[in-house]
Amino acid sequence: MDATDRIKAASQFLLQSPPGEINDVLNGAVQSLQPLHETGILIMNATSDIRYIISDDDLLQEGIQPALREYNIEQFTVVDVPETNHQSIISEAARVGPSESDGEERFLDPRSKTEASDPRPIEVVEEHEPIRAALEAASLNYLKAHFTEGVTSVFAPREGSDHFVLQIVANKYNPSNFWSGRWRSEYTIDLTSKQVSGRILINIHYYEQGNVQLATTHTVTFELPPAAISATPSTTASKILALIEVEEGKYQMSLGETYQEMGEKTFKGLRRALPLTRQKIDWDKVMGYKLGAELSGNKNALPSGQADE
Amino acid sequence: MAEVIDSMLDLMRRLPPTRTEENVEALVGICPNEADDLLQSVDQPLRVMVDRATGREYLACDYNRDGLSYRSPWSNEYDPPLEDGTVPSSKMRKLEIQANEAFDTYREMYYEGGVSSVYLWDPEDASGSNFAGVVVIKKTMTPASPLEPAGSWDSIHVFETAERGRQAHYKLTSTVMLHLITRKGSDSESSKIPADKKGSEKWKRDGEVSLSGSMTRQNEQDWPLNDASSHISNIGRMIEDMEIKTRNLLQEVYFGKTRDIVYDLRSVEDLEKARRQKELQKELVGFIKR
Repeated sequence: MDATDRIKAASQFLLQSPPGEINDVLNGAVQSLQPLHETGILIMNATSDIRYIISDDDLLQEGIQPALREYNIEQFTVVDVPETNHQSIISEAARVGPSESDGEERFLDPRSKTEASDPRPIEVVEEHEPIRAALEAASLNYLKAHFTEGVTSVFAPREGSDHFVLQIVANKYNPSNFWSGRWRSEYTIDLTSKQVSGRILINIHYYEQGNVQLATTHTVTFELPPAAISATPSTTASKILALIEVEEGKYQMSLGETYQEMGEKTFKGLRRALPLTRQKIDWDKVMGYKLGAELSGNKNALPSGQADE
Repeated sequence: MAEVIDSMLDLMRRLPPTRTEENVEALVGICPNEADDLLQSVDQPLRVMVDRATGREYLACDYNRDGLSYRSPWSNEYDPPLEDGTVPSSKMRKLEIQANEAFDTYREMYYEGGVSSVYLWDPEDASGSNFAGVVVIKKTMTPASPLEPAGSWDSIHVFETAERGRQAHYKLTSTVMLHLITRKGSDSESSKIPADKKGSEKWKRDGEVSLSGSMTRQNEQDWPLNDASSHISNIGRMIEDMEIKTRNLLQEVYFGKTRDIVYDLRSVEDLEKARRQKELQKELVGFIKR
């Protein structure tokens, strides 16, 4: 396997990192790569300030960059916004650039109207701001009601498009109890065609005595009822968020039902808790010889294949 | 290179269990020198093969592999055929045949389907009495339609024996891999509503729930020994107990723990309402006390 293939493999590993564990995966991948690359240690913390602690391996550092970028965007990585006390989401909707002047990509924090990566004011499209701000306020209220550690970002339509993008991410990392979890949801809201399309993604990793992962996907599209669109942005926004709240609540309930179904049908169908006899197996019988069979005079202790006592 | 294998194993403990095979392959590609260690330490899903001589299904894993061929426990033949493939000594093979019969009964009673195989290997020590082996069981549930739940269970029990006079000491390492998948689509529900019906009822939903992973446990016990076949009933009892415990653990983790974490991320109840209610209660209590 040449250097390019190794980088490719390491990038694939990174993209599969469970919530909050990209650091561990990265260190693992780096060590596995050591036979070729002496000591490249590249660290990115879980809330994603990308920082390189040591790296004397430019190839690895550079090679892994696109995967790190993709991971951050896909996973709605949360960043602290300097000079504010809120956090912002790194995502495709937040991406600005790469700019013509320096070729760099930046990520927008619509709440403070600055760049999350490097706070500098961003030009606001006045036309969309009242609704965007109202959706943001309604989304923050929704977070308070249902998420203990949620972050939201609401983006105004880009040039040439009609839709707002509303994102929510909630992370919980509990390494001392060997689990981590992430809830992501994203809604594309088009007020002209009155269409909303959304997706909810949940990832859970439990790794005490093993490696168990829950991965769910859910997509939904619906039309906004005429009554939802009102003259005042705040009413429209709270009506839209009410629909989202109902949908996410319903989804969570249906997930509970799926759990029950998998536990009762699939799990039980795969392996019984006990044989039909409701007793553990009589191994001496199964072995086709019964201990003490000769002493008890029972010379017909043949393999029965059934523990039928 | 112990550290490299350790970090590979740590990596495998974190990456999605549904992608174990491709990730092991990638790691083998990165570090060919560690391939043997890695393949021996990472449990991979068992593959069902058909014995060409008897037509019976058996399981392929790293333990019955020689080169690119797998040995069937029923005919003792390799597939693809190998002229000088490793086979157990005749004494060990006799015990292996007995063990396969016993665990086939066990499988039928607990799994009511599926495939099982037992592979034994001859002792490497001078005394010639401390053999080892593996019991593997696989059951797959294939749904009749795409929207029905699917699943698979793979058990891998590796054991070592050490005879001590009329007793034997057993060391058992068991891994169970459990994959459960349910797909949901709203096409079935929405088809009941006429397409031309106007209104806001046009909701379309699609999704998938995948709950998968593996759990590993170890156990050591001493059991009395009457003759060679006592080994099988002793190991049988240990594996039966282990599978019962592991099944309980899987149930707790799969349907309890991971579900609780989802509800920890998002609360179904309105937290804000609950908070206000609590405050109101406090106020009332304070009011009464006054």
